[in-house]
Amino acid sequence: MEITVTGVNQLVTPHLHVWDWRVSLYLFLGGLSAGLAVMTSVLHVRKGGALALGERASVSAVLWVPVILSVGMLFIFADLERKLNVFWLYLTVNPLSPMSWGSWGLLVFYPVSILYALATFPENRRHQLSLSILIWLSEKLSAFRLQLAAANFGMGIFIGIYTGVLLSSFVARPLWNSALLPVLFLTSALSAGAAFMIMIADQKRVKLFFTKVDIWLILAEMVMLPLFFYGQYTSSGAHRDSIMPFFTLSHDYFWYGSGLLLLVVIFPIAVVLKFLEIREEHGESLTSAELMKMNLSAVMVLIGGLIIRLSFVYAGQLSHLS
Amino acid sequence: MPKYAMVIDQRRCVACMACVVACKKENEVPPGQFRTRVLEMVEGEFPMLRMELRSELCNHCDNPPCVYNCPTGASYKSEDGPVLLKQNRCVGCKACVAACPYDARYINEDKGYADKCTFCAHRIKEGKQPACVATCIGKSRIFGDLEDPNSAVSMALRSNHHEVLLASAGTNPRVFYIKKFSKPE
Amino acid sequence: MKFSRRTFLQTSSAAGLGLAAYVALPEKFLLWAEDQGMLKPTFTPTFCEICFWKCGVMAKSLNGRVVKLEGNPSHPGARGKLCARGNGGTGLLYDPNRLKTPMISTGARGEGKYRTASWDEALDLVAAKLKKIRAQYGPESVALFTHGTPTDHFLPLLSAFGSPNVGMPSFAQCRGPRDVGLELTFGEGIGSPERLDMTQSKVVVLIGSHLGENMHNSQVQDFADAVALGAKFIVVDPRFSVAAGKAHSWLAIRPATDLALLLAWCNVIIKENLYDKAYLDSYASGFPELAAALADCTPQWAERETDIPADKIVETARMLGQNAPNVCIHPGRHATWYGDDVQRSRAIGILAALLGSWGREGGYFLATRSSFPKTDSKPFPEPGRPALNLGNFPFAGAEGVTQEIRRATITGAPYPVKAWIVSGTNLMKAMPNQKETVEAIKKLDLLVAIDVMPFDTVMMADVILPECSYLERHDALAVGKGRSLSVTLRQPVVPPLYESKPGWWIAKELANRLDLGEYFPWGTLEEKIMKQCELWGVNYQRLKQVGTVTIPDSAAPYITPLMPPEFKTTSGKIELYSIELKEKGFDPVPRYTRHPLPANGEFRLLYGRSPVHTFSRTTNNPELHELYPENEVWINADQARELGFQNGDYVTLLNQDGARSNRIMVKATQRIRKDCVYMVHGFGTASAGLKLAFRKGADDQGLITRYAVDPICGSTGMHVNFVRLEKEKADA
Repeated sequence: MEITVTGVNQLVTPHLHVWDWRVSLYLFLGGLSAGLAVMTSVLHVRKGGALALGERASVSAVLWVPVILSVGMLFIFADLERKLNVFWLYLTVNPLSPMSWGSWGLLVFYPVSILYALATFPENRRHQLSLSILIWLSEKLSAFRLQLAAANFGMGIFIGIYTGVLLSSFVARPLWNSALLPVLFLTSALSAGAAFMIMIADQKRVKLFFTKVDIWLILAEMVMLPLFFYGQYTSSGAHRDSIMPFFTLSHDYFWYGSGLLLLVVIFPIAVVLKFLEIREEHGESLTSAELMKMNLSAVMVLIGGLIIRLSFVYAGQLSHLS
Repeated sequence: MPKYAMVIDQRRCVACMACVVACKKENEVPPGQFRTRVLEMVEGEFPMLRMELRSELCNHCDNPPCVYNCPTGASYKSEDGPVLLKQNRCVGCKACVAACPYDARYINEDKGYADKCTFCAHRIKEGKQPACVATCIGKSRIFGDLEDPNSAVSMALRSNHHEVLLASAGTNPRVFYIKKFSKPE
Repeated sequence: MKFSRRTFLQTSSAAGLGLAAYVALPEKFLLWAEDQGMLKPTFTPTFCEICFWKCGVMAKSLNGRVVKLEGNPSHPGARGKLCARGNGGTGLLYDPNRLKTPMISTGARGEGKYRTASWDEALDLVAAKLKKIRAQYGPESVALFTHGTPTDHFLPLLSAFGSPNVGMPSFAQCRGPRDVGLELTFGEGIGSPERLDMTQSKVVVLIGSHLGENMHNSQVQDFADAVALGAKFIVVDPRFSVAAGKAHSWLAIRPATDLALLLAWCNVIIKENLYDKAYLDSYASGFPELAAALADCTPQWAERETDIPADKIVETARMLGQNAPNVCIHPGRHATWYGDDVQRSRAIGILAALLGSWGREGGYFLATRSSFPKTDSKPFPEPGRPALNLGNFPFAGAEGVTQEIRRATITGAPYPVKAWIVSGTNLMKAMPNQKETVEAIKKLDLLVAIDVMPFDTVMMADVILPECSYLERHDALAVGKGRSLSVTLRQPVVPPLYESKPGWWIAKELANRLDLGEYFPWGTLEEKIMKQCELWGVNYQRLKQVGTVTIPDSAAPYITPLMPPEFKTTSGKIELYSIELKEKGFDPVPRYTRHPLPANGEFRLLYGRSPVHTFSRTTNNPELHELYPENEVWINADQARELGFQNGDYVTLLNQDGARSNRIMVKATQRIRKDCVYMVHGFGTASAGLKLAFRKGADDQGLITRYAVDPICGSTGMHVNFVRLEKEKADA
């Protein structure tokens, strides 16, 4: 078939390219902060707070959440073409637009995570908060720790899943148009959160706990990814074509194939490493070698999450219905 | 309330691009950007060849993914049919550009907001036809009110077999195509 | 940091108000502005000059800027619509590369070195040189090359000056042989716009027309209507054109053999008695001679020549015969192909006559017999020497044979030509064998170019006079003599930009300096137009509002008992056997000759049009350039594969005389025969002043070094060059 098209917009021809690494980075960082928020709630609530006792990360992780989120928001804000109009997002509620939910959700997530941070701030360090209003809040909110933990947990799940819902709602982009995508994104976000927690926790039992959590999450991802590709392969022709960049050995699709290959290598290795970490007999505290191995497997998980976001954002824009 | 729609009779199109230029002039579309395009497709092996000419534009869908994905309500479906954009509300997130299965939208390079065909809503208000329809040399583009049984679009749809693009996407487009792919008898 | 509740309330309410204002005010302002009339556009009727169809335009301007061009519903050539080029006319008006001031050359011809000059200096210089040449060589040694509406100003100037030597490329490089062939047959040409009654046709034949890609507004409208009404199209073209895409039968003819097909069709129609006997009895002469001459032109013979299966030839001939007289055979437009082009046009005319379609519904309608009274003007002086612009060709048209002027300029015989005035035509891209054009220009004492943009030929001139675009000037009233009699006004939409001036002003100023002011006895052209309207009974004020006035009841398109046709031939009848041609020693009935075919590895060079461009005129127009910035060379996909070329590769074309083209992109396609290549004409400009178009695409005219002159009318057949493709080299 010989096709000549006159009047094409570069933005959508030969394929869509409206979203780039900035969006991918936001998806990753947003997911990371969401997963981390969930993990902090788990940390504080588990065993009635016993897990968090004396754990440095019980304070730092909660503070990391809004920081990581802010960095991610910077990137997504940079992607907007008319940044001065951003306030319109908060004058509108569009119940059918996942992006609208997201913008409002992010608006709620911030105060929830900050209030949660204040609520879980240890009593003996409260004076470090300096501002009297913050100290006052910290005192008052500590009574509502459980409720705020639930809110924080809920917001984390929401932020972790809504980006997947957003992408999956585009019928025009068959690669994303899968019901499995939101679940995959959420799992990846939780896994990243757990991995990050592992890295910043200082107590062995906390690290090992989240290692166990992470193993389950990575195993879930390792089931979901092939299922996702299978689901696309057995769906319509456009869906089948949409996953071809990942499975085509060619110059044009080099990065997609390599990315998938890396994932196929990273996740099993990470799982095995983590499994070994659990099985091993550790001393009172972890040796630097063991710490390095733990950090390595955590970093691998984070890289895996980044690869997923980058390749899906770019490959999704290659896919089209017609 | 009128229900505006467009019918494109591909048999009449000669791929002259008059619509492409007229639209750009009428709507001050920046250089390098377009609200409508023309495809010239040829299949077969010499000398058994078949040609299809088709112009494409925003379909002003009844179930528009660009509208329900817009976080600021900038994209909206007007009562009489055209899908329009309140430019001052657009934040440039490009969700609508990504959501459109017809690649109908673009980001206006000069201004930053999302943009696309408006069925020349400003001309419809004055009782005129959209610019592309007015200038179409082949009279291939037909525009009118589906609610009026005697309008050009209603008559064209009644007397010809017609299709829409990407029907499986569930967008319920308002642009209909009368096409003949192989050589007419 | 402490800030009080008050400051908080103040700042937030200020911000809130500011926000509300930002949200609500722009719309309110726009509504107010609209009410005040600041946003009310004005519509000025005029007519287009991007090509030569002269479509009526309604130019929309806002605050002194032309924002859109729309078709004038009153104009028969536009019918309210404009093509892509007409819509893109503002691109010419606001093209930053336009000629802005008069310029005088400071270097060698073609070097491109100019200095700006005032109008007085430039016009004085031109007049002085013309006077000198007149004194030394005589007025006939000044020649004019022209095309389009500038002709209305510079041809009277030339005639007043005393020279008969005008050359319009539209004759010898385009329509000449077509009109001569039809004149010899029917006593008149087909007109421009061609008087084709396609919307009433049952069968339409396009042989030598790629209508659709060749965008001629109302004619393409008729074509689309005919398609929609179910007319069957027979398209004869070595390339699968847009028209072929809609055809019932596409005959992929071997190039250079069209005459064989036409003669075979006539042969079948005669043999099977499918011709309109009553019509021929009433109106035609020479049938027995015709039948005898065509006896051997069988479909089997034609198959060998044309590569079209004999049964296809018979099938299509029967289609024509069985649908007579509602058959329209498009006689082509650019007909200068192989040097026997008048005879090919004769064959088309004969075929049309056999089918009885001249003056009948669905065939060719007759021109209006109404006309406007002639305006009195001072008679021009008789030239002292005979014109050399017609050569020795017995049927050269009044528009002149351009290359005869060129030849005289080079050789100095029969007498020297020392000055060329060139307006509205790009000779380097219009005439074959650019080397000869350059050689001729070298011999001139004066080359003056009057144009809007710095085209190739303009950049060789001694003096460049910038004409303003058609949107900025008055021009002569355009009289339409198609179906009805009409008159169309061109008036300025905006005042001329920069220092550019209308053609009429330039001609008048030159006339004054040449003591020929009495031939331009009006202050402004508008005065002349107003007087003409008065004489013709046309309300000028109304014409300014509506643009086109059509005289009612002036149409008489078909032969009726009360309206018998007039054939201005020698015999007063349609001449199937041409007495005039016999008298002058030519074949009275067309006779086929086989033209040289390309050798192995060579391809015949064919060229054509793009619907968004008008030759080299528009390649720099930003609004059109972005749709088609460079041409491509169409080559059969299998051939390309054999030669090792792929779609998108860049190649240069090398012709049989060693001429090499600029780089051009390959379009490997199934849509063309294996023995020819095709490209859109007008690209590859060498003028650096055309910043967008400079060196984009290849110049087909540079490859047309060989041309076949038709001995009957002097036209130059230009489909006679063969090229090879070579992988891209550095520019020659």
